[in-house]
Amino acid sequence: MRSIVNWALLGLVIDRSSYAYELAQRFERTYGDALALSSVSHVYTAIGTLRDRGLIEELPGTREGRQPKPHYRATESGVAEYREWLGGQICEDRQRQRLFIQQLAALSRHPEAALEILDRYEQACLEEACLTPIAAAGKDGRERAGELVDRLMGEEGRLAVGPKLEWAQYARQQFQALADAQQRGR
Amino acid sequence: MILLSLERVGKRYPRGMGERTTLREVSLEVDSGEYVVVWGLRGSGRSTLLRIAAGIETPDEGVVRFAGRDLADHGIEILGEGIGYCQQTHPPGQGLRVVEQLTVTLLARGIAPARARTRAHAALERTEIAHCATLTTEELDSGDAVRVALARTLVAEPQLVVVDEPTSGVELADRDGILRLLRSLADEGIAVLASTGEATGLSGADRTLVLGDGQLRGSLVPKLAPVVALREAAGGRAGG
Repeated sequence: MRSIVNWALLGLVIDRSSYAYELAQRFERTYGDALALSSVSHVYTAIGTLRDRGLIEELPGTREGRQPKPHYRATESGVAEYREWLGGQICEDRQRQRLFIQQLAALSRHPEAALEILDRYEQACLEEACLTPIAAAGKDGRERAGELVDRLMGEEGRLAVGPKLEWAQYARQQFQALADAQQRGR
Repeated sequence: MILLSLERVGKRYPRGMGERTTLREVSLEVDSGEYVVVWGLRGSGRSTLLRIAAGIETPDEGVVRFAGRDLADHGIEILGEGIGYCQQTHPPGQGLRVVEQLTVTLLARGIAPARARTRAHAALERTEIAHCATLTTEELDSGDAVRVALARTLVAEPQLVVVDEPTSGVELADRDGILRLLRSLADEGIAVLASTGEATGLSGADRTLVLGDGQLRGSLVPKLAPVVALREAAGGRAGG
């Protein structure tokens, strides 16, 4: 399954069983601008795919009544496959960073351009750290998933920026040495 | 309003037979009520930068101004009045309780004892450590020690607080509380200039800067409020 939206919807169902319209609302609240549904019917299509693959199932008894709202919950196989997919995402993140470094290194004959890119990289890191909200006072462990997401995102953002800034310092020294060598060679 | 400005500041220290350049043409402006954090690796010069900004050290080159006054001419008096340098270490062995440490600072400035005591307690309330008033420095945990240091600074009612690595060595659970406190000082109109070696210490700041190889990078000047054009009055130009 390649659709990141399908995986994101599966994650929401794993977090809490929901019916289709509710899932669409939770999706928008959770992912905001980061991921988009083309329409609410996108959710129905995704639910069909997830059901066909045995990743979610209908919660018994929720299709009854005058206005049936079938709720869906994750199957054991759904949780296992989600975990597997999420593990793969870690590698993808690393690959993106490696790709950036390889592309930056392509500027070794134009170190001034690389230094300018590093300025922007550093600036983006600073802005991210600056905008990360300070965590609220400690919770008693009964927080909702949304609050947990905020806390985890905030901490991940803050902790990840430090090594990136350190790396930028190191990269800057390397490209500065190249720039100095070019200057001497002229 | 620009409260603090550093213009092309340079600082060198002797090393062996030569010199080591710690700061090179550093320029920076801090606005009233602004919270600015400088990130740098160990040995980057971040502590030197803060001491120069506070008027404790003099630069070899450049000018440092506080509220328009050159610190080279008024350093000591400004340090006493407008700038509060947060000294996190308190001379040990004095045996003074926390509230006494704050009171002594004010008594030395000629404040009457009753007034000094009231202000000391208010500063401890402000930094949320009223419960530490009767403890000695040795009895404080890492987070409370930082809050006491901030209280010692705030008791003098500065316009600018300069604090070097406020969250260094502070337990994770206490760290955000200290960052929230610094943020709230800025929200009340007290400018804060802090340094950090950890990216976690950047949270909540209005501006963050990087110090490396003696140079400061990032947005060195505060963002100005947007200029809004005056609407043209009927039948004529807006005043101006």
